[in-house]
Order: sequence, then structure tokens, then C-alpha cells
Amino acid sequence: MSTSTTALPHRAVANIKSPGGGVSGPSTPLRGIASNFGSPSSLRAEEELLLIEFGTRKLHIGFAGDAVPRGTVWFGPDQQRRVGDFRVWQMDYRDEWAKRASGDQWGKDHELWQPDVRGLDLGLVGDKIERAMREAITKYMLIDSRPRRMVCVLPSGLPIPILSTTLETLFSRFLSPTVSLLSIPVAVAVGAGVRSALVVDLGWSETVVTSVYEYREVRTDRSVRAGRMLTEQTHKLLAGHLTQAQKKPGAGPDDIEHVLSFEECSEVTSRVVWCKPSHHSSATNPEDGLATVEEQDETDSRNHPSGGAHATTTIPLRSGATPASLELSHDQLAEPCENTFFEPQCSPRSFDDHELPLHLLVYRSLLELPLDVRAVCMSRIIFTGGCAKVLGLRGRIFDDVSHLIRERGWDPVQGKASGKLGTASRLKKRGSRQASGGPTSVQPDGAGGEEQDGVWHDAANTVPEVDPVEEQLRRSRDRKEHLQVHGKMRAVESLGAWSGASLVTQLKAAAIATVDRDVWQQQGTAGASRAGDVDTKSQRQSVGPAIRGATSGSSWTLGVWGAV
Amino acid sequence: MAPLTPYTYIQCPCSDASTLGRQADGDSPEDDDLDDRTFDPRAPRSNYSLYPLDYLNYCEDCQQIRCPRCVAEEIVTYFCPNCLFEVPSSNLKSEGNRCTRSCFQCPVCIGPLSVTSIESQPDPNLLAAPDGTPAPHSGPYILTCSYCNWSSTEIGIKFDKSNSIHAQLAKLNNGGTARLTAKDHKERRKEGSHGLAGPPAAPAPTAAGNGDDNEELDVETQFANLKSFYQSQLADSTAGSSGLAGLTDLGFSSPTSLSRIMSIYTGGTVHDRRAKARPGTMREALSSDEGLQIASLDESSAIRELHEAGYDGTISTEQSTNQPPHLGEVYLHGSSRFASSLRPIPYLLRTKRSKRCPVCRHIISKPEAKVATTRFRIKLVASAYIPTITIRPLNIPSSPIPGTLPPLQPSQFILTFQNPRFETIQVTLATPAKTPGRFASKVTVLCPQFEIDANTDVWDEALKDSSDKTKIRRRGAAGEDGTHQAEAGKIWERGRNWVSIVVEVVPASLRMDLLEATANPLKEDEDVLEIPMFVRVEWEVEAGGDEVGTAPGRDRETKERCELAYWCVLGFGRVSQA
Repeated sequence: MSTSTTALPHRAVANIKSPGGGVSGPSTPLRGIASNFGSPSSLRAEEELLLIEFGTRKLHIGFAGDAVPRGTVWFGPDQQRRVGDFRVWQMDYRDEWAKRASGDQWGKDHELWQPDVRGLDLGLVGDKIERAMREAITKYMLIDSRPRRMVCVLPSGLPIPILSTTLETLFSRFLSPTVSLLSIPVAVAVGAGVRSALVVDLGWSETVVTSVYEYREVRTDRSVRAGRMLTEQTHKLLAGHLTQAQKKPGAGPDDIEHVLSFEECSEVTSRVVWCKPSHHSSATNPEDGLATVEEQDETDSRNHPSGGAHATTTIPLRSGATPASLELSHDQLAEPCENTFFEPQCSPRSFDDHELPLHLLVYRSLLELPLDVRAVCMSRIIFTGGCAKVLGLRGRIFDDVSHLIRERGWDPVQGKASGKLGTASRLKKRGSRQASGGPTSVQPDGAGGEEQDGVWHDAANTVPEVDPVEEQLRRSRDRKEHLQVHGKMRAVESLGAWSGASLVTQLKAAAIATVDRDVWQQQGTAGASRAGDVDTKSQRQSVGPAIRGATSGSSWTLGVWGAV
Repeated sequence: MAPLTPYTYIQCPCSDASTLGRQADGDSPEDDDLDDRTFDPRAPRSNYSLYPLDYLNYCEDCQQIRCPRCVAEEIVTYFCPNCLFEVPSSNLKSEGNRCTRSCFQCPVCIGPLSVTSIESQPDPNLLAAPDGTPAPHSGPYILTCSYCNWSSTEIGIKFDKSNSIHAQLAKLNNGGTARLTAKDHKERRKEGSHGLAGPPAAPAPTAAGNGDDNEELDVETQFANLKSFYQSQLADSTAGSSGLAGLTDLGFSSPTSLSRIMSIYTGGTVHDRRAKARPGTMREALSSDEGLQIASLDESSAIRELHEAGYDGTISTEQSTNQPPHLGEVYLHGSSRFASSLRPIPYLLRTKRSKRCPVCRHIISKPEAKVATTRFRIKLVASAYIPTITIRPLNIPSSPIPGTLPPLQPSQFILTFQNPRFETIQVTLATPAKTPGRFASKVTVLCPQFEIDANTDVWDEALKDSSDKTKIRRRGAAGEDGTHQAEAGKIWERGRNWVSIVVEVVPASLRMDLLEATANPLKEDEDVLEIPMFVRVEWEVEAGGDEVGTAPGRDRETKERCELAYWCVLGFGRVSQA
């Protein structure tokens, strides 16, 4: 009830002005429309929306409507000190890292939260958010502390306790009247200009592959092979090349895990770690639209053996016991990436569900999508996240996935038996597919369409079905639509989640979920109803002038983040 | 390790135990009792609520401490810290948060950059030229750092003029090539497709003259393209149906808009109908004119560059975080990796802020609006209202390492409370008998309750100095300084507006083997002896606040008792680990 009454005044004004119900004069309804947009503050023109993207290690902040965020604040141990503690500037500060963060804690103080909330001090998370926000507001945003409406861009897999803490901080510390929530994959898709995409978020604590179809998240797969693991692998590499004397004194050979500081390893990772191109890329050059990528990879792999093996990079290290400089060859520097994201030496069966190598993860994710969703998503692959900056990684994943598709097609069954069948006649294969299709297939029902007509549709060469009625509708709606690419592998560049969200907000589209301060303080997370219970039609239409005010009654939702 | 000077931190009462969300569960069930819980200075959250006294403000009307977390801020002035130019607030929205004149920081060492001409110094012979004036510097200009000798020639950038470098830089890519801004792109497109009315009028994808479908766009252009694309799509898709986005170019004559107007008053059902009709009406971007960018995943050239440049050719994390977002970059992915991609950093603007109490809206701090002055019009600092606490060692047993406290032996410290108020205050102290944390040290405050005389004019004391020397009373029994004993319940020393008391601590031993299971090594600062202390200050003020003289007899009745209570943390020193 409360929201309906809060939304009403504007409408009431409109009603009073035009008692005849809109017939009287065409100029009056404009006011009513303003309220329908759900931004009663549009009367106050000076108000800006704050747009904040939270990541595990940093937050981006800026005004909605800008192309890039105004500022980025990284979470770090220096931020967790008391005010007035200036030890960061002391001479030996950097050398004493082991006291601050070793063992399990190595690198943890650079994170805002851990996805495992069991041992997490949520109050601390709130404090970290608050301090980072304050820093961002004073340093980059240069705004006063009047309450502002905010839009949060969050990973869609964020646990509710963390989400709740975040909202609580924004409401209680920054007195924001409303906070809208947007999920990163959708924002990334908007930032790329597509409606459907396979968003591969190479993040810090995990890599998340999300399929977005028509601005809805339809499937999510995740793997722990991500930035944190990469940094740990880099540490392993560097530590392996240090002599015993260069390691921290007092550390037994196996007792201490970390001989170098997190900061240094992280820096080395971001500076010189790279990823080798795929082995498969130069083998065959198929004609399915990968031409440009493949060609250039070939040149690289030709170049590579000649110069790569001998050439070395000198890395100065200071956080060990004695300063050292390591001479590592380029191949060695590609190892951490290899071990983290691909682990080619292990068979695909040895991986647990949460640690699939990325190419398998992407392939699996695509495979389990319904056919037409897959066709659309596979030609809109977007790489985002911090590890997308690792040189060559995006191309490598892309090539490896393409290779997997070429090798296996879209057959969820693999192994010796299916390989044997593959060598048998094509007719037989069809038959066996039909027979084994039911129980073993893990595909959602949409994929059942593949088998219905008894012909195996390879998404890579699927011809769009021609339905005369559909065709006509489409033509009447939009003549350009048939230009849509689908069914072939293609990667698309996105402006990123922040900029995507900036577009969404600027276009006055409703966020997936909008939380009111008053309602939140009364109800908390418990008040959130499931996304389905709320008027999803208008809520989930992320792009398009969906009407927020139209949500019926007092029900509100946390969108994809679900309800308690 | 440098010996630690004793310190005091104060916890602002605004961050009390009203926990944000949920406590870290599992560790201590007795924590549920909020009243009994002593403040643990070592809990990670405490770092966020502890402030040195100098950082705190005080609201006179609420009689409460105000920390940086619990004040409302307003901006007085925006200015560039380098040129001290005052930036009008209207510019901020349009031109961003950085100085748009010629103030830049070195991207390598963040030193200030100066504009210099690369013309060699004028020939001395030329000085004697007939016009008699030295030839003015001309020709290309560069930015140079006088600290690390970085110059903008390293990234291939030179400027034609010596002023408004910011504007010139925005039009240049690294390497000196001119950069097409979003506006240029738009103009180019407009020229290509003759006479399209404006961006919202939706240039069709093929209508653009430059037919290259995957032209590489920089971030700004891509954003602009996407924006206009979405806007046109919204306009398109809703023009036929009764959409609201069509409002911008609303024609009231059309029948659809009439029906839309009707529908507004009929409530929510219409929305559903429209929502059903909508999916798919918006298409996706198809070309670079609409903001679509096909990714080129081939990064072999960058990899090669990385191998050639080596470690030193890449930029450090610190440098890359200092880099401003560069709108001219093609992709955000490979951004700022090599030293050759560094850009001079325009100075971030700063602000002067006034602070208000969030409760009563009174101003508690207001700086002078002029940039160059450091004066404040109003400044209510907490140290003028709450007693300052200083710590001095009194009697410390000798320790193997100088400057540290020996474990398991009682050490005595003098705490001196100085009263800044012009009223007499009563102070009550409370400490837990054992400090929280892994290493529990024993604490005894010998005199937890005392009264401090009012602050008076400093000159009073100086003038009365000779006669009032006896006012510094010492409660120690024996006259000899070194030998006299601190007594429980008695003040150690007392002066005009200060009182000293003695605190005795028995630091815990830091030896790991005495702990049971927890074999975690010593954490940072865990060897510092920190004591949480609850301070309660009481004083009387005149009610109503009228200072017109009233009879002393009536004064008694009108006096109002005020109190202020807060936690503070006293750091005594490091405990020796021997």
C-alpha cells in the first residue's frame, strides 16, 4: 500500500487538473506521465543519479549518463586502517607484509567480500563499502552529502546477505531514497548494443558465464578459475624460481605458503603474464566466419617458437627476504595463465563442477542452452572482467571453444561409445541419438527441438526456419532484423557493465529491481517478494520504457537476486 | 622497529553496536549481550570507527561528538590544487572532475608537469637582434616532468599552443594522431547521409555514408553511438504502439497519442497489454554506427610488444590506477598496459567543504570560501570540548628490548586528562579488567573517578603562577619523585585544568606456546598493548543559555547536567616478545 500512496500524488494532481479523464485538454497528461516514469524527482532537474558498480576488488562510481565512471576505488589493506594511521609511509612498511597477510589471509584484505558468506563479517563489508564510497565521493565525485538516488550494478550471483548489507549501507549511511539494482551481465549486454549475449565475466573470485537472452539471464555457469587463482599461480611460479635464501627467513621450506607479498604478485600478474594462443587455431582454418582471427593467430604462432623460448623478461622482486630479480622466459610467464584457466595436462573428466577450465565451461554453457538461444548467444560472446585484460586470454578461450564445437558439435554425449558411433554411418548416428536422447541428455526441454524432426541440427549451420507468418510479422516490425547474425561464433566488444548501466539509466528504463528506503527500513530483505510475484512484465523489461510505478501494491523485488 | 609513541583514539558514538546486518556468527555467543560487550579495539571493524581526537568535530547543540562519518557535508568551493583556480560548480557536470586548464601530473611519478617549448634556447646572438627583445618561445610545446624527466614526447604528443593544454590533449591520441571525437563522427555521418534531422531521428544503419561496418570506435564514440541508437529504437518501437518513449517527439494530433492519453487514466492493465506487444520490437545494434563493435581477439601484436618491452615497458598498478579514464581509447580491455600508452594526468579538482550536524543542521565547520586562505569561519573541533588524554610512562621495569614493555610485569603509566571546558567536569573511567583479544593484559585504573577543574584563561595561570604553585598537588606520599608510590583511589597530580591518574598494566606474554590451539602467527600490531577505556564526562551548563547575570542562588536550579560518554583506545606501547 505504501508505494501506491507514494506514487499517487502526481497522478492525483493530473486527475484534478483534468477531471474529464484526459479528454479535456491534451496538455495536462504530461504531468501524469512524469509520474509514470517513476521518477517523481524529475521535477528537480539538478538531481543526478549515482551509479555504482561493485566488484570484488574495486568499485566504479560515476553519474548516470556518463560514458565512463568518474572514479575507481580499489579495496586494499591501506583503506582498512584507522584514520590518522600513517604507517603506510614508513620506510619498512612494505617489507612487513607477512605479518599482515599470509596464509589464508593472503590477498583477502584486497577483497570487499568473499562469495562464501559463512565466515564473512558482514558489518565489515558494510564498513568497507562505506569508506570506499566516501573516498570516491570526496575524491572523484566532488559532491555533497545530500541524499541521492543510486543505481547499483552487482554480480547476479551475489548472495542475499551481502546484497542486504550493501543496501543497508547505502540506505542508512548515505540516506539514498531509492536504490535500483542492475545485474552485471545484462548491463554488459546493453553496453555492447545487443539484446542477447553470452557474457563471460573473467572476474576475481570466479569466472561466471551468463547467457543473456532478450535481456534476461537464462543460464549461469561458474568456475573458480579466475583472477585470484591466477595470482596464486603467479606466486607459485615466482616462488619456484626464488632461491631459498631469497625467501623470507624463518620460513621452513614447506611451512609457509607465501614467500612474496600479494601486492607484488598481483602486479607481476597484471604486467607480464600473458596467454599463449590456442594450439588448435593454426591447425585448420574453417570457413565459418573465424577467418580474421585465425589468420593472425597463425602468424603469431609462427613467430612464437623463434623468439619466444629464448627471450626473457627480468622481473624485479622486492618482497622476498632479499631483493631479487628473476629472469623468466616468456613461455614461463604464460604458465600461470595456462594452469589457471585451461590446465591442459588434466583430462576433462578430472574436474569438479566448480573448477571447469574456461573453454569447457563456455562450451558446456552453450551446449545446455536451448537451440535458438544458443544460436543467438554464440555469435555474441562478450568477455568482460579484470582477467579479460590478460593478453591473449580472450582469443585463446574463443579459439578453444570454437575448436570444441568443431570437434564435438553440439553433442552432449561424448566418449568412446559415442566416438564409435560417430564413425558409423550418419543414419545410424541419428538413430542412436534419438534412442539415447531422453534419459542421458541434460538439456533443458528447449533443446528437445533438435531431435524432434529426426535430423541433427548443427547450430553452426542452422538455417533459420522460414515461417511465412513469422516472416511477415518480422518484416512489418522491423526490416533490418533479418540481418541479425546467429549460429556462428563471434565475439563482441562491450563498453562494460558500468557504461551499460549508465545507458540503461539514462534511457529511463526501469531497473530490474528498485528498493525504496522507507520500505527497506520497514521490511528489510524479508519484504522482498519473488521476482515472479511482482509485475515482472513491466519490471524486467530492462530496456524499454517499462513503468516502475506500475508495480502493484507494496510488493517489491530484488530481481534476479531472489527472495529470502 | 621504531618504538611506539603512546596514542589515543576515540570511537565516535555514531558507530555503536547497531550492527549492519549480521554479526560474524559462531565465534562468541556472549556477544549477544550488547550492553555488556566491551569494545574491542582489535576487531577489524573498530578501525572504521576510531579517530584521533584531532579528526573529530563537536556539535554544541546536540552536545555530541561528530566524526567524519556522521556529518553532512556541503561544498563551498571547487578548485584545482595546482593552479588554485576556482571552478564554478556548473562546469563540474559538463567538464568533469579534473582541471581543464593546463595542470597535469606526471603519469610516471605524479609530479607536476610543466609546459616547455622544444625549440632550443634562443641563440644568444639573436638576443642582440634589432628589436632588442628575446625571441618568444614558439613552435611545438611539450609537457615535461622536472622530477623524473618524463616528457610527452615519449608518447609522441606535442602541442601547438602553450595554453589550454587540456583541450588540445583531448584531441590527440598517443602518437600524435588527431582523434575523432563523438561529435566529429556524428558530423561525418551527417555529411554522409544528407540532411537527417538529428540524432533521435534514427539514421538507418545503411544510411551512413561510411559504409565500413566495423569501424573501430573509441569509448566515447561507441557510447554516443549506442545512446543515439537506443534512443532511436525506443522512439521507433513505441511510435506505432502507444508507447511512452514517444513522448519526446509527441504529436498530439495522432490518434495513437490520444488513445495513449486515454490509457494513462485506465490504470495498470494497459501496461500489461503493451508489454506483451513489445518484446522484439527493439532490435540490436548492427553496425559500428549503432555502437556495435565486433571484438578482434587477436592480441598477438600486443603480446609481441609486451615481449619486446619487458617488465619495465609496462606500467605499474599504481600508475594505472592513477590514469584518468581515457575516452579516446579504443577498448577498455587493453587499456593502459604499456608505458607508451600513458597519458598525462589532469589534476583532480578538490573541494572545500562545510560540515553540518546531521541532526540539528547546525554548521560545525565552515572554511573561508577563498581558495588561498586556510582559515575557517566556523570550526567546532572536539578537542575544545572533550578532555584530551595524554599518556606518559611512570614506572616501567627494564625490558630486554629498549622501548618495549616487559611481559607479565606490572608497568605504570600516568594518564593526564586536560579539561578544555570552562566548566568543572566529572570524569568516570571504566576499563575491562582484561583486554579483549588473544593476549589478555590486565589493567587497573587506580583512580577511576575524579573531577577536573574548569579551564580558565591561560593568562590567569601565568599571572598567578608564583602564588599558586602549590596548586599542583601531588598525592604521592613520599616527597621524592622517583620513589613515591601510586595509591589506589587517589589522584596522582592535579593542576589548573588537568588531572593525572595512574594506570597499572600487566602485559600478557606474547609467547605462542602459551596459547592453546590457535597457532596463527602474531598479526600486525598484535604486540601493541591497547586498552579500551570507556570515558564518561559530566558537567553542568546553564540552562537556557542566557548569560545575563542571575543570582548565584538561582543558578543552582537552572543548571543543567550534561553528559557525554564514549569509548576510547589507549595505546601504551609494544610488548616485548622475548
